[in-house]
Amino acid sequence: MLKGRYLAILAFMAVCVHGAPVTMTAAQKESAVFLDALSVPSPGEVFSALNRSCRPNWATLVTTATAPVTTERAQLALAVGVLAADGYIAVEAKEGQQVKNVGREIMNVAKSLGVSQSLMGRGNSLIEFADNNDWDALADELEATENEVKSTMVGQKDRDLVTLTSSAAWLRGLEVATGVVLGSEDVRGASPLKQPELARRLYSQLELLPDRLKGSHLVSGVGQVLEEVATLLETTGLSKDQERENLRRIHEKAAGIVQSIMASAGSQSSPTPAITPEASKEKPPASASTPVSKP
Amino acid sequence: MTTNGSLLLLAMILSPMLVGAADTNQLLPPKQAADHPNPSGPVPTEARRIALQTAGAFVNDGFRIRDGEWPISLSPGKPVFLEVTLFAGNSYWFVASSVDPVSRLRVTVYDSIGTPQKGEQWKDGGERSGDSAAAGVAPERSGKYYVGVELLESPRSGGVDCCLVYAYK
Repeated sequence: MLKGRYLAILAFMAVCVHGAPVTMTAAQKESAVFLDALSVPSPGEVFSALNRSCRPNWATLVTTATAPVTTERAQLALAVGVLAADGYIAVEAKEGQQVKNVGREIMNVAKSLGVSQSLMGRGNSLIEFADNNDWDALADELEATENEVKSTMVGQKDRDLVTLTSSAAWLRGLEVATGVVLGSEDVRGASPLKQPELARRLYSQLELLPDRLKGSHLVSGVGQVLEEVATLLETTGLSKDQERENLRRIHEKAAGIVQSIMASAGSQSSPTPAITPEASKEKPPASASTPVSKP
Repeated sequence: MTTNGSLLLLAMILSPMLVGAADTNQLLPPKQAADHPNPSGPVPTEARRIALQTAGAFVNDGFRIRDGEWPISLSPGKPVFLEVTLFAGNSYWFVASSVDPVSRLRVTVYDSIGTPQKGEQWKDGGERSGDSAAAGVAPERSGKYYVGVELLESPRSGGVDCCLVYAYK
């Protein structure tokens, strides 16, 4: 009896000394750190969730990776993000040659950005892993390559470009993911994609960019798409048909801006194509580079 | 010493053990973590190495480690928080490590309104140098979450260098 009482007291003391985790305070939430390398999900995470809900046919989603011919640094930074996401698609599809192509294009963009010195080893690793069909290592190496480009940007006082790369990678992932969900019978697979807070966060980070970058029509277009996508993702209480229409609009917006990012200078389309409800009803989901997969 | 005093002293000594036992769910003990002499002293990169070594155990279970880390300096009683975006359907392990073998860490995952999430806990038994703790979650909803890292105990008065990494599948 005495022993039981002692144990009860000891257990109580243990809780008093360290305590169980309690609900966060508003100040703690306010102080939470947002770190590009960890707070923004990698395309691999998006596709992992997609694999569980939809089982996409990745081979149909692989596209030719061609970096834009441009001297605009903002566009090059955005292109790195799109290419990185394309690399993940190629890994999911187990298309070794395509991963190598993506790696080569990322190197080319990095060279244009002047951040390629430390990346040569990464390029060689991508080739080696692709030749050996080491898909897990390839996915890791792709993320490491993207992060190395970003850290070199930071080292060269181009920190602002990092946000652009992350935003573009997420938008390309969203384009692919919504395309896959739209190609399925129902839209239940869309639930993992509901990340309006992330879209808002990326948008607010773009708002903090210096005017010289915000002046770029592409950067402002990406910001506009992020804001519109956030609003669409926040919409709740939709019927199945409305949900599908909502997803289609998100897909078109993401696809439109990705197409603009990857367009070479002189051939750029409008970064934010106007989508009317009438047009969206008549046309199938229009994708810049991603065919909507069929179940 | 009175009986009450003895009880209090005993409780103070045993309470960390009890908390450690509660935290410890030996699901995936990363036993492959080997000795790691640290001639350069406690630097954040060493904490990262320990964190990656610990997270390596989850790779064996199909998890993929993000190529990024959060270097932190922790003080007792002052938890720090990282915003993360998690996907329903995926599983996650968040691993925090310090270079201080006698410090004790706790990792907690919170939802967007700050409520602690139920999940799995893994705790280093303290058999090696350096301390690691990990929290595993499989969120039911996609969205914003917070990862809290706190220093439960440390003999140091100043900050303890730690590092957080995470893995997903």
